[in-house]
Amino acid sequence: MTSHVRAHYQGELAELEVRALGGLDLVTETLTRTLEAIERSDIELAEMVIADDDRIDGRYLEVHESILTLLATQQPVATDLRLIAALLHVMKSIERMGDQCVNIAKVIPLSGHEPPSDEEMVRDVVTMGRQARSLVSQAKRGFAERDVELSRDLVRHDDVIDNLNRRCFARAVEIGDDVDDREWGITMLLVARALERIGDNAVDIGEQAAFVVTGRFREFEDASHPGQLAGR
Amino acid sequence: MSDFDPRTARAQVALAGARGVTAGVLSDQPRRDVARNSIFAALLFLAVIVALAGLALLIGDNLVKGWPRLNSDLLSNGTSSLPDDAGLHSAIIGTLWIMAFVILFIIPIGVGSAVFLEEYASTESRLARAVEVNVQNLAAVPSIIYGLLGLAFVARGPLSLGFTVLTASITLALLVLPIVILVAREAIRAVPPSIREGSLALGATRWQTTRRQVLPAAIPGIATGVILAISRAIGETAPLIPLGAATFVTYDPSGPMSGFTAMPLVIFNWVKQPQAEFQVLAAAGIVVLLVVLIAMNSFAIWLRNRYEQRW
Amino acid sequence: MSELTEYRFTEEVVSGKGGFAEKPGTGIAVQPTRPPEAGDITRLEKVFELQDISVAYAGVPAVKEVSMDIYKNEVTALIGPSGCGKSTLIRCLNRMNDLVPIAEVTGRLLYHGEDLYGPKVDPVQVRKLIGMVFQKPNPFPKSIYDNVAFGPRILGMKGDMDEIVEKALRGAALWDEAKDRLDSNAFGMSGGQQQRLCIARCIAVEPDVILMDEPCSALDPISTGKIEDLMMGLKREFSIVIVTHNMQQAARVSDRTAFLMVELEATEQNRWGRIVEYDATERIFTNPSDPRTEDYVSGKVG
Repeated sequence: MTSHVRAHYQGELAELEVRALGGLDLVTETLTRTLEAIERSDIELAEMVIADDDRIDGRYLEVHESILTLLATQQPVATDLRLIAALLHVMKSIERMGDQCVNIAKVIPLSGHEPPSDEEMVRDVVTMGRQARSLVSQAKRGFAERDVELSRDLVRHDDVIDNLNRRCFARAVEIGDDVDDREWGITMLLVARALERIGDNAVDIGEQAAFVVTGRFREFEDASHPGQLAGR
Repeated sequence: MSDFDPRTARAQVALAGARGVTAGVLSDQPRRDVARNSIFAALLFLAVIVALAGLALLIGDNLVKGWPRLNSDLLSNGTSSLPDDAGLHSAIIGTLWIMAFVILFIIPIGVGSAVFLEEYASTESRLARAVEVNVQNLAAVPSIIYGLLGLAFVARGPLSLGFTVLTASITLALLVLPIVILVAREAIRAVPPSIREGSLALGATRWQTTRRQVLPAAIPGIATGVILAISRAIGETAPLIPLGAATFVTYDPSGPMSGFTAMPLVIFNWVKQPQAEFQVLAAAGIVVLLVVLIAMNSFAIWLRNRYEQRW
Repeated sequence: MSELTEYRFTEEVVSGKGGFAEKPGTGIAVQPTRPPEAGDITRLEKVFELQDISVAYAGVPAVKEVSMDIYKNEVTALIGPSGCGKSTLIRCLNRMNDLVPIAEVTGRLLYHGEDLYGPKVDPVQVRKLIGMVFQKPNPFPKSIYDNVAFGPRILGMKGDMDEIVEKALRGAALWDEAKDRLDSNAFGMSGGQQQRLCIARCIAVEPDVILMDEPCSALDPISTGKIEDLMMGLKREFSIVIVTHNMQQAARVSDRTAFLMVELEATEQNRWGRIVEYDATERIFTNPSDPRTEDYVSGKVG
């Protein structure tokens, strides 16, 4: 009675998930390079980051196509259907994270040849970047292990990023009257903003993981009701 | 060597070999099997030939013997003790009267029993099973027994109808009823249960379903059964002999209570006569009887093929 | 100073207990939107109420203790593996099981609040109100016209028979194909047309409920699609209960789905069907609450 059937389909679905979540590993690698490029203002490394994004986009297209094939040929339902719907979102988030890395890489040349004028701000941005990177790995683990608590926990780490972002903003405002300083400050602000978006995307992946498990979609943190940040 | 070039000589040989093997496998039927098949087919054909030859011999022999008397006089002359004046007229009229009443009896009783057994009686019921077994046994009872039954219960005894057309009809009807019931049951059973379900699911009663769906669909089969039963009844002599006190009827039977004669009885009577002329007459009579029977059976087959419902 | 304060706040958040759902103002549960007729059960009129319905053939159980409500103007699907008793169950609803002498139905089955198996209830009357379409198309060996007219005639329905026939054939989306050949034998139609003729025959007697026992299992996908379309339209006038082997069909056409599965006796001598889950179809196919339903609908067990 309980003979297992459709083993081939189950295998395909598992493989699809591995490919999709593998996209997060690509993001982690790219992010590492991006951070290095920021720290060293390394323009060549920044160009590599831009090239890396093609791999991420390629993965996005590949997984997207596999999802369409699976939907068309296997008619997944129940948990399988939720997983596939979630993977579509996850892939989109991965693709956006890659794009954010590209955005950062594109502004690095603007930061100039001179050493950074505000080391503390650079440190904050790099801290944000590392935080974002660990968020990406945590999102992957939370999804792969279907761990709702671990996925929820992403919000907590994301708040650290958000707060650092706000601090960067405050610093940029007070950075001084020099035109070059101001240009550098705004550039770093763009970088901080991109890293903050990567953190948000990781939280989105966590929300998708919770959806796969519970079958109910619930935003961990509603951007239009930032209640817990009211203390500011 | 990794590329296979079909143009080389070696490749040609290899391909031919492969084809040969495939052809060999496909045509690999042992010789013994072929021989057995042919012998068996020949034996079956022989059996068919023997059966058909018997029938052909019977018809041919009587046709040749009876030829001098096969004319319209045979059908129009009445009964006579003189071979030259004797004919089948009274016998044909008698047979027609008898068969009319046989039909009248067997259709309602036969179809009614079949409907009861198939549609109403539950297979569990003891009564239904008893009836079923009896009907099958009755079909195997020798026909002379029915003649004696007719003599004891219809001609004399409880009904006391005397030696009349009605007595002969009732006796023959009893004889062929099992056939009608068996064939009608087959015809009713051939109507798929899905038709009954469809009708009942529309809110039809069991009777409405039987009357308006099952019976109309079974009519061709039932009609075939009735015709076969009648052709059997027409040819029966044995059950009529005990009732055949009046085999020598010089008048045409004129109704249910009239005395009767019938074609097989007259022929039987002619065969018994010492004069050679009567033997010729008997042969001619047999030909007439056979023609009637073959015509009726053919009609039954045609009816079945023409109207039988394919599900 | 303000920076310092804010930094502390951040630390507080980082070392916090997590538990964001408890925080006021965080997270709004986004409920999947459901059609109102499928969600708000209390507003729906019940056609059938099954209370602990069990069916046995000659003492051997086929279905055990099924309790479910079936609602008006909905398509209710019964799914489950072979031998789970879904056909047996649907045949209880119009007392077709009465035709099998060894079948025994226990439990209470209410139809619009009346006991369908009550002592005064005539099964023939029941079947007038609750029609049935079978697995294999079973037109009568008659003309198309007579097939449709049979029911209204035996029930003595008043009105112009031609109109009744046309209305029923239109209702079954068969009028355009059949109007020029009403006098020809129904056996000359294709399988899909025959099945729609059976539906027309069924709706001609204006029933309240239509039961369908795997109505498309003998049909090709195009004919199946036509019948599925038909069901979507028919549910405006009738309540429909359908048994199907095809889970995607249940997902496509039904508002509510019941999943039955086979239970084995410890000795594996007897097996019977039991209801596992009964819910809005959309829920059964996106987020079933019982893992056995999940395994069945996603094809992980057979």
